[in-house]
Amino acid sequence: MNTINKLQDIFRDVFDDDEIEINQDMTANDLEDWDSLMHIQLLVAAEEKFSIKFSTAEVLNLKNVGDFVALIDKKLENK
Amino acid sequence: MVENSQKITALELLKMARKYTKNDQTTSQTPDIKVMVLGSYSTQYISSCLEYLLNTQIDKKIEVLDGQYNSILNNVLDENSQLHAYEPDILVLLPDVEDFINYAPEKFSTDAQVKSAVQKVVDFYKALWAKIPSKCLILQANFVVPNLRALGNLEANYIWSKSSFISAVNLELLHKRPSNVLLLDFEQLASALGKNKWFDYQAYNMYKFGFSLDFLPEVVDLIQRQISATRGATKKCLVLDLDNTIWGGIVGDDGIDGIELDPHTPVGESYRHFQKYVLELKKRGVILAICSKNDEENAREPFEKNKYMILQLADISCFMANWDDKANNIKKIADVLNIGVDSMVFFDDNPAERCIVQKFIPECLVVDVPKEIADYTRALEDAHAFDWLQLTAEDLNRTSNYAANTERVSLATSFTNYADYLDALQMVAHIGQIKHEQIPRFSQLINKSNQFNLRTIRYTEAEIEKLYNNNAVHCIEITLADKFSEHGLISCIILRRNDTELFIDTWLMSCRVLKRGVEDLALEYIVELAKNWGFKQISAEYIPTKKNKMVLNFYQELGFEKVDETPTGNVYYKLEINDELETKKHYIKLRRKDEHD
Repeated sequence: MNTINKLQDIFRDVFDDDEIEINQDMTANDLEDWDSLMHIQLLVAAEEKFSIKFSTAEVLNLKNVGDFVALIDKKLENK
Repeated sequence: MVENSQKITALELLKMARKYTKNDQTTSQTPDIKVMVLGSYSTQYISSCLEYLLNTQIDKKIEVLDGQYNSILNNVLDENSQLHAYEPDILVLLPDVEDFINYAPEKFSTDAQVKSAVQKVVDFYKALWAKIPSKCLILQANFVVPNLRALGNLEANYIWSKSSFISAVNLELLHKRPSNVLLLDFEQLASALGKNKWFDYQAYNMYKFGFSLDFLPEVVDLIQRQISATRGATKKCLVLDLDNTIWGGIVGDDGIDGIELDPHTPVGESYRHFQKYVLELKKRGVILAICSKNDEENAREPFEKNKYMILQLADISCFMANWDDKANNIKKIADVLNIGVDSMVFFDDNPAERCIVQKFIPECLVVDVPKEIADYTRALEDAHAFDWLQLTAEDLNRTSNYAANTERVSLATSFTNYADYLDALQMVAHIGQIKHEQIPRFSQLINKSNQFNLRTIRYTEAEIEKLYNNNAVHCIEITLADKFSEHGLISCIILRRNDTELFIDTWLMSCRVLKRGVEDLALEYIVELAKNWGFKQISAEYIPTKKNKMVLNFYQELGFEKVDETPTGNVYYKLEINDELETKKHYIKLRRKDEHD
């Protein structure tokens, strides 16, 4: 399973919605429930799932799901 | 560390809270209890989890309104705020050290300056509390002393350090809290969980979280427990199994001396450690009950005969040992004690018993007992079963360790005349020269008594042994019993005589039996001895110490005459013995038959 699919599982789990389909260009504006608290939960869940830790700067630079996937891949490569 | 299988993570809790909010069909319903959360940091995640937990714990509709980030000041001070419009029943205040740390005292501040800085902070909270109607219960977190310590270890050595200052603020809040303010012990929680993890600066900088998200379940649980307690949902009684729970082994098989309780073994020590903790609970008002599958006689025997037992039968309010199932027995215990099964906590090493009780009495809190005995205490502690909102004198009396004492006090209040009370105590004393086997206890009391001690001269056991064999010295002991208890040896007197003088070298008494007339009885005895030996007077001395002010005028009150006083305050006294000398009336019957001289 590639990163975006794993991330989709995280989204479905956190939002408690199995219908969610994520894509590279998706942003918080595209999901009604994606508020700041959900955003934090997504980040923490991703950190847990991939056993990585994001830095403050990395988190702040995320613009969309594509950035998120790229960041995870980068962190996994450098692990 | 105690394994805790039931612990949920922050993410799981947030998810459950979210699910609850989403599926809640009762949002339009008027809440029975209104809670508002205001904090110096972001509190939204706390509020939503709190609302979820409370509604699963309490059989009422509970609404939790969140004040959003940094919401304390504007909400409390502005009369048109959300807070004042909402009029919550319970207000949760979560302030932060950063709110006042700029007011920390300067380096090298004097005690008075530090005190004044502390006062300023606490005055601010007092003013805040005053703005909130007193019918509203305020749950306020105390301050977590940060683990960034610019002064290093010196933080703990200067009263003006930030750490000392924050600790002082916490203490002063405790002194000044009105009855509608209850402090949430965040400082303890953070310490217990680990401050290095508690303080998550990244989470604060990015999301304005006041503490690590990992500890959300613990924080919310602490707040939830206090709020649940306002609904009377508190536990009052601890029901304990016996075999392999408060001692090791099976008393029915291993016998009272075969069970493991010996403090010289690690296993015995573990059980004793648990018993000590249980006794602490009992002393703070938790009712203890025993529920054991045993023959009652076997079950009681260790309490009566095993010298390593810490819990005594008198500590147990209800003793249920039989072969019936435990669920039924717990119901019976509840009936006997006249409390609900929902106020009971069950602690049993046997998972099968726990399972049955949990199944048939779901209201009863069943503690998840770990395999490791040394972890029993922590498991019971971590169940947070007895988190009450307050402790009253009645709570303690209910299970008082000193049941006899309580009765004695009530006896005292039922008499208008103190003499009648003393008479009703039916005191019986023995007074006489000590017997050889009393030497250890005699010297122990001599070395331990500070307050009622006229000269505070200490003697070792060996020295007492010498005095015991010296014909010119008389070591006199007094033992006392009354209607309620055997007090044992309670007073030591040492008399020294030569051809011309009888001198009271030592006179001391246990403070447990003050104002009983023991001293009058003793004087009567000493005077009688003096007369028999042909002395015309008794001499005595008071040597002041830091602790014996209580007996400063003791000899004067007994009728002695002051003869001399040294610059250091030593006072010499004498008592003339003649036919007119009358000793005071007392109410103690004497038992002299076993006197040995």
